[in-house]
Amino acid sequence: MRIDYKLSDKFDFGLFIPMSILFAWGLAAIYSSTYNHPTAGGNFEKQVIWGIAAFIIFFITYSLPPSTFKSISIPTYLFSLLLLIVVIVIGRKISGAKSWLDFGPFGFQPSEIAKIGTILAMSAYLSRINTNIDSFKDILFTLTIGFVPVALILLEPDMGTSLVFVGFILMLIFWKGISLFGLFIVLSPGFVAIAALFGFYYFLAALLIVVIFLFLFRKDLFFSGSIFALNLAAGFFANSLFNALSPHQQQRIQSFIDPNSDPLGAGYNTIQAKVAIGSGGFFGKGFLHGNQTQLQYIPEQWTDFIYCVIGEEFGFIGAVIVLVLFLYMFLRILKIASTTKDEFLSLILIGILSVYLIHYLVNIGMVVGILPVIGIPLPFVSYGGSSLLVNMFMLGIVANVYRNRKNYT
Amino acid sequence: MKSENFASINRTTIISGFILVLFVLILFRLFQMQILNQESYEEKSADNSIKGIEQIPFRGAFYDRNLKVMVDNTPAYTLRITPAEYDPKLNPIIDKILGANPGYVASILLKNKIYSHYIPIRIKRGIDFNVVSWLEENSEHLPGVDYIVEMQRGYPFGIRGSHAFGYTKEISPDKLEKEKDYYKPGDYVGHNGIEKQYEKELRGVKGFNYVLVNSKRKEIGRYKNGTQDVTSIKGKDLVLSFDADVQKVGEEEMKGMRGAIVAIEPKTGEILALVSAPDYDLEQFSYVTSKEFLQELYNDPDKPSFNRATMSVKPPGSTFKLLSAIAALDMGLINTSSTFYCGGGFTFGRFFKCHGAHGSLNVIHAIEKSCNTFFYNLIYKIGLDKWKEYAMKLGFSKKTGIDIGEEVAGFIPDENYYKKIYGENWPRSIMASLGIGQGEVSVTPLQLAQYVALIANDGSTFQPHVVKGYLDNNTKQIIPFKFPEIKTGIRKEVFDIVKEGMFLVVNGAGTATHIRMPDINIAGKTGTSQNPHGKDHAFFICYAPAEDPKIAIAVVVENVGFGATYAAPIAKKLIEAYLKKETLNDQKKKNENTQTKIAGLNFAD
Repeated sequence: MRIDYKLSDKFDFGLFIPMSILFAWGLAAIYSSTYNHPTAGGNFEKQVIWGIAAFIIFFITYSLPPSTFKSISIPTYLFSLLLLIVVIVIGRKISGAKSWLDFGPFGFQPSEIAKIGTILAMSAYLSRINTNIDSFKDILFTLTIGFVPVALILLEPDMGTSLVFVGFILMLIFWKGISLFGLFIVLSPGFVAIAALFGFYYFLAALLIVVIFLFLFRKDLFFSGSIFALNLAAGFFANSLFNALSPHQQQRIQSFIDPNSDPLGAGYNTIQAKVAIGSGGFFGKGFLHGNQTQLQYIPEQWTDFIYCVIGEEFGFIGAVIVLVLFLYMFLRILKIASTTKDEFLSLILIGILSVYLIHYLVNIGMVVGILPVIGIPLPFVSYGGSSLLVNMFMLGIVANVYRNRKNYT
Repeated sequence: MKSENFASINRTTIISGFILVLFVLILFRLFQMQILNQESYEEKSADNSIKGIEQIPFRGAFYDRNLKVMVDNTPAYTLRITPAEYDPKLNPIIDKILGANPGYVASILLKNKIYSHYIPIRIKRGIDFNVVSWLEENSEHLPGVDYIVEMQRGYPFGIRGSHAFGYTKEISPDKLEKEKDYYKPGDYVGHNGIEKQYEKELRGVKGFNYVLVNSKRKEIGRYKNGTQDVTSIKGKDLVLSFDADVQKVGEEEMKGMRGAIVAIEPKTGEILALVSAPDYDLEQFSYVTSKEFLQELYNDPDKPSFNRATMSVKPPGSTFKLLSAIAALDMGLINTSSTFYCGGGFTFGRFFKCHGAHGSLNVIHAIEKSCNTFFYNLIYKIGLDKWKEYAMKLGFSKKTGIDIGEEVAGFIPDENYYKKIYGENWPRSIMASLGIGQGEVSVTPLQLAQYVALIANDGSTFQPHVVKGYLDNNTKQIIPFKFPEIKTGIRKEVFDIVKEGMFLVVNGAGTATHIRMPDINIAGKTGTSQNPHGKDHAFFICYAPAEDPKIAIAVVVENVGFGATYAAPIAKKLIEAYLKKETLNDQKKKNENTQTKIAGLNFAD
């Protein structure tokens, strides 16, 4: 084995630099949206402190022995389940969801820790030598590991985060190499569930499609029948789930379909966000000169709507540079994941990539008005301590895997 | 070793494809929003955050014909409440401090509920300074309550002019609906009289200061440092044809009476004074007008809000004899040598009394003595329709078009009118009374003034008006308004004869010799309008100086008796106020001239 003494061989600048730019840019945007805000004035300083902590965590994680991750996977998972139960009992409510735990002056979201715990636990299970992803038992077990925290998070209720979980759970199964039929079993209930939300006839049509697929796969009748039953149950479950959603979440889904139907209510944020970004134009209005931002048209802009600040003040150019930085990071993580020979670490990396990717898609999709308003932050950019710490910890894992990539070849 | 590689090339490709598709999708969306639709978003963003704050310009002032200020603007304190910040529990306290009835504040707030809660609502204008200091002291306990200094109408020179000037008042919902491009709720607009008629000139043009507001509509700074602001343009200062002194004398003379005075400059149709008595205090309208005051105004049996000068109609009495004389002379039915014999009355179906037995007299002396018999005879010669035709030539039975808005046309009957009531054989005896201005004939004081102005100026004048023009804001030159000329087409000789009679009324052995003046020759005609409901109405129309008429006046005093006794002395006072001032002013000028000459000489020496 050849030993390379260059720093870039041990440390992936291709991850670190884009992340640092995104974080710094996020700080600038937080500053712009809060420096003359009556209640959020100190957020810039707070984020700087969180940032220092996050970078320290990044480097610690980076330098850990790679075997650590496997050994902490089950304890972390169980611990995060415990926290998720605790938060439902004694959590602090923020905008309708009981998702925060307070420790003195600090608050954090257990669901952030649960992301790591779930990714680690699922990856650990999937990478066992005798796991067969196409066996009914292993799929069921994998999905159970994944969906127990989802169920707990839905009880908070925090739809955005559950969505992130669903996303990376599916990605992990996909990455493990599920067969077409296995994928069908996993995806079809979701498909039927979404169709059920649109109405009864969509539900029927979706079931019909499922039946046609079942015929095409030519599995035995009992097996096909139980899958059909699963789909049927998913449809009914989706409907009762929608009804169980808090009114503000239901309204958000409705106002996404037509934001102008309620311009001062649920659709308000979407309209103002689009106005902010659209009015930025090619070059933007300049740092600290975006009137939508400076006049506080978008509530809590430094969290989930931070991308509007960049779109408005730095224009198309700024917004696209952010996209490109993310794109580069994503492809970089994907490359490391696909070249790593250790299945467990590869799965973890895909889980992490999925978390980033879903946050990026849902967050930016929301502010540019192609997805409903689902409040999840933009990684590294949005204000918020616990999500920054967790994101940096996860990026630390990626850097760690890069550092040790040659040990597994 | 590729096959050992756990992550198949396939799955990696699918995921990178997915990432790239998302990237392109969002990129396209950004391009669409920030490049293609940038302008429309920009517009929305500007609408959002830039607010124009209206700058209400000074309303134009009123000057009299000698450029004395009659109406101007004075600063006053207005109490306002911003509902979004205000606690309705404070209502009773505010009511009390304003000295208003309980529920006053609540009712105003309720009325304005439809507007944004962040817009301050004017609760009361013209609040006392005591209230202002109280507000200052207690401001911390009064969230949402403040005061501003606003300009309001001031009448500093003791001229009431209530019916001519009119007042300003909060815009009515109807008018707001019609002119919502310019006006906003709470704007003050001219409500009647000159204020209403010349609203467009007086109001000026609103300016706008552009400010940035945040999402709570709270002002947080100027937009582009005020470079985009639009300066307001001050309203035009109107120059009225009024003479402040004449108007003041008229108002004082009419105090405690009911009636009207209209004085006109015959050559121009410019109204020198317009008084309707009783009048009311326009100061009361400067503020949010109290209900009690309005109630009082409308319930007063003397109807002070009613403009008697243009709206009240009465039979004109003997002043109408001049009309018959003009008609008969112009038609060539009589001349100065035609006479009628007055033996104390006239018989047509029944006996019509004269107030004396004047013997044989011609038209001049018939006017001088106001002989009924002469004019009973005359109207039968003229014929009813011809008589009406001349009445209309002299401005009766139609609106004059005066520029203060409301007026009525009055009524002059013709043959058709009586045919409709009585049929073809209507009793011709009715005509006798009409000949002396009694019966079914009604005119306004303004029409009478125009009538005597037409006589004084030999049959022509201009449409009566109270505004001459406006002062150019920069040059201070008067820019005159144009008014249509009125021409009767009646020969000058006719007027000469009638005027001779009118001269004798005051200066001969006529009915108003008691107002004769040594230095100014007045020509006039008395009238007494019979009133079946009480004492007669006194009328007097006149002009002066007789040789070169500068002022023509109609005076109507209700329910007092003879015109000569009650109305004529008032007209005399006005003439003195107008013409003697002119001579006084001329003398002053002469003195000044000589003084400067002397000074100049001294300097030269």
